[in-house]
Amino acid sequence: MMNAMLMSLVIAAPDGGEPSFSIAKMMAIIVSAIFINNYVLSRFLGICPFLGVSKQLDSAVGMGAAVVFVMVLATLGSWLVFHHILVPHGMEYLRTITFIIIIASLVQLVEMILQKFSPALYDALGIFLPLITTNCAILGVAVLNIDDKFSLGYSLVNSVAAGIGFTLALVLMAGLRERMETANVPEALRGLPLAFLIAGAMSIAFLGFAGLGG
Amino acid sequence: MSLAQDFSRGITKENPVFKQALGMCPFLAVTTSVENALGMGAAATFVLVFSNFLVSLFRKVIPAKVRIPSYIVIIATFVTLVDLLMNAYLPALHSSLGIFIPLIVVNCIILGRAEGFANKNKVLPSIVDGIGMGLGFTLAMVTMATFREILGNGSWLGFNLLGEAYQNQPLLIAILAPGAFILMAFILGFFNIMEKRKRGGAK
Amino acid sequence: MGEIFKTGLMLMLVAVIAAVALGYVNSITSPIIAEQKEQAKLDAMIDVAGSLATGDLLFDSLSVSGLANPYASVDETLGVVSVTDSAGTELGYLFVAYGKGYSSTVQTMVAVNTAGTVTGNTVLYQQETPGLGANVSNPDKFLYQFDGLNASALLLSKDGGDLDSITGSTITSRAVTESVRDGLDALSEAGIIPVEGGVQ
Repeated sequence: MMNAMLMSLVIAAPDGGEPSFSIAKMMAIIVSAIFINNYVLSRFLGICPFLGVSKQLDSAVGMGAAVVFVMVLATLGSWLVFHHILVPHGMEYLRTITFIIIIASLVQLVEMILQKFSPALYDALGIFLPLITTNCAILGVAVLNIDDKFSLGYSLVNSVAAGIGFTLALVLMAGLRERMETANVPEALRGLPLAFLIAGAMSIAFLGFAGLGG
Repeated sequence: MSLAQDFSRGITKENPVFKQALGMCPFLAVTTSVENALGMGAAATFVLVFSNFLVSLFRKVIPAKVRIPSYIVIIATFVTLVDLLMNAYLPALHSSLGIFIPLIVVNCIILGRAEGFANKNKVLPSIVDGIGMGLGFTLAMVTMATFREILGNGSWLGFNLLGEAYQNQPLLIAILAPGAFILMAFILGFFNIMEKRKRGGAK
Repeated sequence: MGEIFKTGLMLMLVAVIAAVALGYVNSITSPIIAEQKEQAKLDAMIDVAGSLATGDLLFDSLSVSGLANPYASVDETLGVVSVTDSAGTELGYLFVAYGKGYSSTVQTMVAVNTAGTVTGNTVLYQQETPGLGANVSNPDKFLYQFDGLNASALLLSKDGGDLDSITGSTITSRAVTESVRDGLDALSEAGIIPVEGGVQ
């Protein structure tokens, strides 16, 4: 049922943008969001959880899944509200305030629903949910979808890809940090400084993806 | 605690960036130039001071249950205000800070001070705390931007320091994303060494 | 029940006050923002058109039948402004080229004379990487090379042309070059500027 609703919405894009959904553009969006403009390593969005929840591989995967989930819901909610409520009434200036309220309520809602109907999933993701409201990658993807004038279909693709990019960075970071635990690192660089150094090295590696866009 | 302490705490002892690792996203993203760092610092300080002021003023009126949502609305209001004013009067800066202006809403420093300080303290100390934390954040960003702009572009606040020859072949990595992470690692490492020295000296 | 009602009312009150305050500020700033955008565009037009001729110039937006839009993929349209001197002689045209760069759509205003040669240009908007693609805004680094060129000469050296791209920013350089070339091609196809002999 959810799918059917989405399909009809995609076709009825209100901004008169391209009506068709081109696979080439979709692939470009996916590659850009995951690799070229990785939300964490290139756009600097979601740094706090990237540094905070990347000490262990398990929690990195959990956090990543929670972020993808909320990102998609937040994109859906914020896009619909922006194009169907704010724009028709000329209230685009309320964008920031509306989006953050949508995200905060969504996180709360997801937490309550999971707790009630899927305790197993709640156990896995629950502890990460409160952290997500202040994860700037979520608000970031909602705002960037509007700035880039994406239709709802592209916005959802972009948010899934951004979430995957975030998870990829987080999981890679956690893997590297777990190995570094036992390494002999100069005392001054232990802890957070080392995390930044690893992130820097990963960021250099991701710079190499720049060529993909051409 | 005295007002002077409220003020200086945010700049030195509890510096939001260097000591608490808060506000990392804008810190890493906008420090490509000193001008951007100053602009972001001013915008965040403005929001911080006014949100602290209002949260403290209404701390007895706002019910505990809707505390956080109310704070978020208050913060988002001032962020939008900055967004609109900057777009109207400083369009160039507005366009170069881009998405990081609306993202001030989710800057942990601001919600952190509302929840951790302003809702427990009187109005005046809360304002002073906001100014101190804001200046601490700005100072940290300007420090970082100084390294990045000089190394990566040979200039400081737009003034050419290292000459044409350097600007044609600068240490570009400093201004790119990896440079931000790596420089931050060394700055934090430096603070660790300083701290250890200080502790060692006190023994 | 009364408790829930009270907290709900409180939250709503906060939101309403916020919305009203922002609505008021927006009513003040939105005309300023619009005017300043308009002014910036006008300044750029005067600046770029200065490469066609000195003295008083008249701008008139041109509606051309059969003008293809090369910028549909970035949701923009090609609009053409004709430049005439005070005597009414047509000197050339202005248009804004939109090219999808590395992290933004780069907007370049271009002046072209009636012979189809680029005489001047300036970047109106870009959000490219600072230190790399953002250098496109510095005319001495890249865009100076466009002056005096026709559509067929707008090619990067990497693509077989003569233009040196910005160091480390092939994507941005190519985006700008191709967007300007696409605009010129659309103008010549619509018969506004001459088609280059045998090249096209």
